[in-house]
Amino acid sequence: MPGIFLLLAAAALALPAQDALPLLKARCAGCHTGATAKAGLDLTSRESLLKGGTRGPAVTPGNAKTSLLYRAITHDSQPHMPLGSPKLSDAETQAIAQWIDAGANFTGTIQAEQHWSFRKPVKPAVPRSTYPNPIDAFLEAERARRNLKPMPEADRRTLLRRVTLDLTGIPPTPEEQAAFLADRSANAYEKLVDRLLASPRYGERWARHWMDIWRYSDWYGYRRAKEVRNSQRHIWRWRDWIVESLNADKGYDRMLTEMLAGDEIAPNDPQTLRATGYLARNYSRYDRNGWMQDAVDHTAQAFLGVTLKCARCHDHKYDPFSQQDYYQFRAIFEPYQVRYDRVPGEVDTEKNGVARIYDADLNPDTYLLTAGDVQNPDKSRKLDPGVPGVFQSPFAAKPVNLKAEAYYPDLRPFVHADLLAAAKKAVADAEAMPAGALKDRTLAAAKAELASLEARIAADKAKYATAPNFEELALAARDAERKAGILKAAEVIHRAYQQIEDAKGDEKKIAAAKKHIDEAQKALTQPAEGYTGVGTAYPEKSSGRRLALAQWMASRDNPLTARVAVNHIWLRHFGKALVPTVTDFGRNGKPPTHPALLDYLAVSLMENGWSMKALHRQLLTSQAYRMASTAGDESHPNAKADPDNLYLWRMNPRRMESEIVRDAILAVSGSLDTSAGGPEIDNPDSTLRRSLYIAHTPDIQVPFLKMFDSPNPVECYERSESVVPQQALALANSKLSRTEAERLAERLAAAGVPFVNAAFERVLGRAPNDAERAAADRFLSTNTPTARADLLHVLFNHNDFVTIR
Amino acid sequence: MNSRRTFLADIGLGFTGLALGSLLHRDGIARAATSEGWRAPDGKPHFAPKAKRVIWLFMIGGVSQMESFDPKPELTKYAGLTFDESPYGHTLQNPLVKKNLREVIQGLHKTHSRIYPLQIGYKKRGQSGIEVSDWFPHTGAMIDDIAVVRSCWTTDNNHGAQMQFHTGRHVLEGQFPTIGSWVHYGLGSLNENLPQFVVLGDPIDSCCGGLAAHGGSYLGPEHNGVQLAVDPKNPLPFGTLAEGMTREQQEREFALLRELNQQSQVQYPDDAAMRARIKSYELAFRMQMAIPEVMQFNEEPEATRKLYGLDHEVTKPFGETCLTARRLAEKGVRFIQIFHGSNGGAGKWDAHSKLKKTHSELCAQTDQPIAGLLQDLKQRGLLDETLVVWCTEFGRTPGAQGLDGRDHHPYGFSVWLAGGGVKGGTVHGSTDEIGFHAVENRHYVTDIHATVLHQMGLDPRRLEVPGRKRLDIDFGQPIKQILA
Repeated sequence: MPGIFLLLAAAALALPAQDALPLLKARCAGCHTGATAKAGLDLTSRESLLKGGTRGPAVTPGNAKTSLLYRAITHDSQPHMPLGSPKLSDAETQAIAQWIDAGANFTGTIQAEQHWSFRKPVKPAVPRSTYPNPIDAFLEAERARRNLKPMPEADRRTLLRRVTLDLTGIPPTPEEQAAFLADRSANAYEKLVDRLLASPRYGERWARHWMDIWRYSDWYGYRRAKEVRNSQRHIWRWRDWIVESLNADKGYDRMLTEMLAGDEIAPNDPQTLRATGYLARNYSRYDRNGWMQDAVDHTAQAFLGVTLKCARCHDHKYDPFSQQDYYQFRAIFEPYQVRYDRVPGEVDTEKNGVARIYDADLNPDTYLLTAGDVQNPDKSRKLDPGVPGVFQSPFAAKPVNLKAEAYYPDLRPFVHADLLAAAKKAVADAEAMPAGALKDRTLAAAKAELASLEARIAADKAKYATAPNFEELALAARDAERKAGILKAAEVIHRAYQQIEDAKGDEKKIAAAKKHIDEAQKALTQPAEGYTGVGTAYPEKSSGRRLALAQWMASRDNPLTARVAVNHIWLRHFGKALVPTVTDFGRNGKPPTHPALLDYLAVSLMENGWSMKALHRQLLTSQAYRMASTAGDESHPNAKADPDNLYLWRMNPRRMESEIVRDAILAVSGSLDTSAGGPEIDNPDSTLRRSLYIAHTPDIQVPFLKMFDSPNPVECYERSESVVPQQALALANSKLSRTEAERLAERLAAAGVPFVNAAFERVLGRAPNDAERAAADRFLSTNTPTARADLLHVLFNHNDFVTIR
Repeated sequence: MNSRRTFLADIGLGFTGLALGSLLHRDGIARAATSEGWRAPDGKPHFAPKAKRVIWLFMIGGVSQMESFDPKPELTKYAGLTFDESPYGHTLQNPLVKKNLREVIQGLHKTHSRIYPLQIGYKKRGQSGIEVSDWFPHTGAMIDDIAVVRSCWTTDNNHGAQMQFHTGRHVLEGQFPTIGSWVHYGLGSLNENLPQFVVLGDPIDSCCGGLAAHGGSYLGPEHNGVQLAVDPKNPLPFGTLAEGMTREQQEREFALLRELNQQSQVQYPDDAAMRARIKSYELAFRMQMAIPEVMQFNEEPEATRKLYGLDHEVTKPFGETCLTARRLAEKGVRFIQIFHGSNGGAGKWDAHSKLKKTHSELCAQTDQPIAGLLQDLKQRGLLDETLVVWCTEFGRTPGAQGLDGRDHHPYGFSVWLAGGGVKGGTVHGSTDEIGFHAVENRHYVTDIHATVLHQMGLDPRRLEVPGRKRLDIDFGQPIKQILA
């Protein structure tokens, strides 16, 4: 009896056969249409359906049971379809079965609905609402549907601390607290946001966020031998460029363009060239293939939020990216290499310089690597650069002509001046030597070198100005260089004989000196064909490939760039992203919790000239951002309906990131050194500067920061927020927290302010309540010499210090 | 029904002099009862436990069942033939193929039907005469204390199976509480000075679950495993007092800190991270004394050090890990999760090629330390109350991958359990003649979890958290046949 009942029920639920096609379109066509159809199965037309894919025809008209399509959706054969999605309902599979049994007829074609994130965002209408800020209107619509009541606004001190830490990473000072509490004007909060956005600390705070996403790492490798194996020396200039760009509110579109193609849009501007540190960071001394992979994989992930990397070895299993797409994307990066350009005042680029990129080979070969194996390129076809086909964007790279100073950077006057100054100093040093044969030789060599340098500079200038007297100057430079070489060899030989004498039979030293002599003598016999320019000549053009990529990414038509940026910024203000899989907006990622809101913000970002400060302002002035982070009660109905706060009925309390814990301790105690920029700091114990300036690489990390989930410089698109006992130990036992507690105790004593109040206000950003004050007073009443420092030390360890409420 | 008042009553504010240790009644720190009358577990087992603690040895990458605990001479007999050319052509037609697999990447890991011979011989071992491969001579010598389950299966043929083995859920479904966090959630502490859920060895890489493979997920961060470095020189970062501080001074500070944090907690009763942090301070304070003690291997007599292989370079690293595990177990840690084979990727046991070389090396690193651990626990009378589980995310294909490897294989693989009320010298379940499908007494990975919880005296259904619906398969069934 029940069996019959079930059959009847199923029949009653069955959808008519004409519903089969919409089902195929909705549930299958996403992967199985067009050029990137998975397993070759293209459902566009009846013809292509019958033809089937790599596993044969998808349907046998008139017989559902033996049809591959039917077997896959009933999970009767592998792989179960739809892949990675819920199974079709019985009624749905039955509709498809009926349709196949009836001959699988269809006229016209099925065009797949493009996955949401591959469609250009359109600004949606703002839901009707009493909230003035559209963000709240969108959120309220979702909350109302779930019967969630938003929390009221947080108290002013909480709000001040939250927004100050979010924008500057440094807690509000007592003066800032007093000023904000005293400001009773209607727009006090908006003014506060504007003040914080104008603070130079804003750029530092948000630079660290973007440094996570853009994989900032100081150079690493064999430090003892000073051998750079990954990233580049002086990459800190890129970090400074990020800080400065954010403070100047440079558009996100412009920032990404400068990072990808600063050398093509501003080849003569060293300030802009710093931005290309983004790509210079991928440098890998022994692994060009890995270097290219990082450039491809992370550019796609950071800016486009797609896992293009999956298509390195095979067509992407979820998204419409073919393996060829992957290597065409790689071809965009294939020409680039890294180099250091000199900066004024330092001729040695190991000591200082600009780490930058340039196109070394304008037309390199890119092949598809079979199964991703670098040993196994498919040489039958050279691939052109391009962006994945699904975006339907023709890729037109226009080569960029460079000026001489860009491709021959040592033509710049300051380089000449610095080189000449160094040569003149060598002459002066030689003149100051004690009289004797060594001095004579050294001085002669130095003078000849200066003359040679002057002659070579003159020849260089003539060459790149294509002056008529170039030939003549080149000959003179050749002769001067030859003479300098001979005199230098004479000096070297002289010194070497001296060394042999001084070595007193030390074989090793003697051998080394003899080697010098041999080399010098060899140099003496080298024929001189031409002169050596003072610098390195690089290609006179750049391929324009990266610029074309940047222009496409920064285009208003790009469906992903703005959404991905908005999502990252939202995550860092609200503690949870709108698209939870921040690096995967593809079909295997999670859909946005608030799709309309995401699109609204993405389009607004573009409309506002990609201004990130405008976006911050929009987010931070929403009522949502200003909500209290607690319901004050675990059994609040909202907590049951939405325990994970997906629909934002309260603010998410967050833990400070590692750098902020350290910076806040230093700031609160009054020790923080706010000087900005400059080379990475190697010794963390020696500095009171902000944490983003301390050297950070995969192998060098500050232990204190590490305890609080500091970013992995290889990949960190979202920080972890762990709570482990080791953090307690770091705050309780580190020299940092103890020393700063002692310093702050002294400073408060010197200031002569009421101690307990001042301690709470400084460290926790609020006054103590009565019970807290009583506890603190009891604690201090013991009158031990360290009691005050101990109390401050306790407050650094207080849960509310590391918590952003 | 004012739950804030309930809360205040629970933590005894106003009653000065009460130590927080008793106030924080372990997990939920005085969590208020909800309107449905749900309460956080009280830390007591639901029924009489057979084991007090668990040592969970996880081999990252996928150990070959055919070269460890599940001898298949037919593979050698038909080596080089395809399944169709051998008498086992029906293997791939088995309906279990469908039942098992949920591919993350379709077709990436094939079934490889060209049969690859056994790469190592087997011997009957112990009184029970159970066959164990020659790569595990020491573990084999302990076989009479071990119950081998030869019939595990899982559904993810990618290394997401590493997380799946700990949560029971396929990686596509997200992150869920792990077996260690369930034990931690369910049971009270045996030693207030040590974390109750400890992780040793480099954990699983972010590719395959990362920290979520020893995480508490929705149970809250206080139920995450605590990672400790096996390093006697620096057992605990920031484990010693800052210069000029005394122990008494720190005690005074911590007493005040407790009081202040409690004040704050009244205001934020729904802040799970705060609960976890308060607990972490209590633990941190006691850990700084206890952990360095645990790592003092030089206290151990020469014979014990040898037992774990500390005298050989190959066995020393994992030997120290296993010895640390015993010392932690002895001191009352509830769940010790040990990882072996981390390589910043899928794991060292992932023998797509050169299986003979890599498996033999990895076995050499782990065999003696693991056997030493069993023997040491036994001689100290601890094995009866310590459940040791040896496991891996999946097995490897009976067919060859490339010249000399085996691919991922979720259809049938082996794990073993010992001590803690497990019947030693037992073989349970079986795979087919070529080690492809688990055929007899099949066990999904959550059956291992259910067995662990059962031996610990916990009924997983009574650990449910409101609003977090679990599936039937999440709970699994205890494998009663291997229990004494």
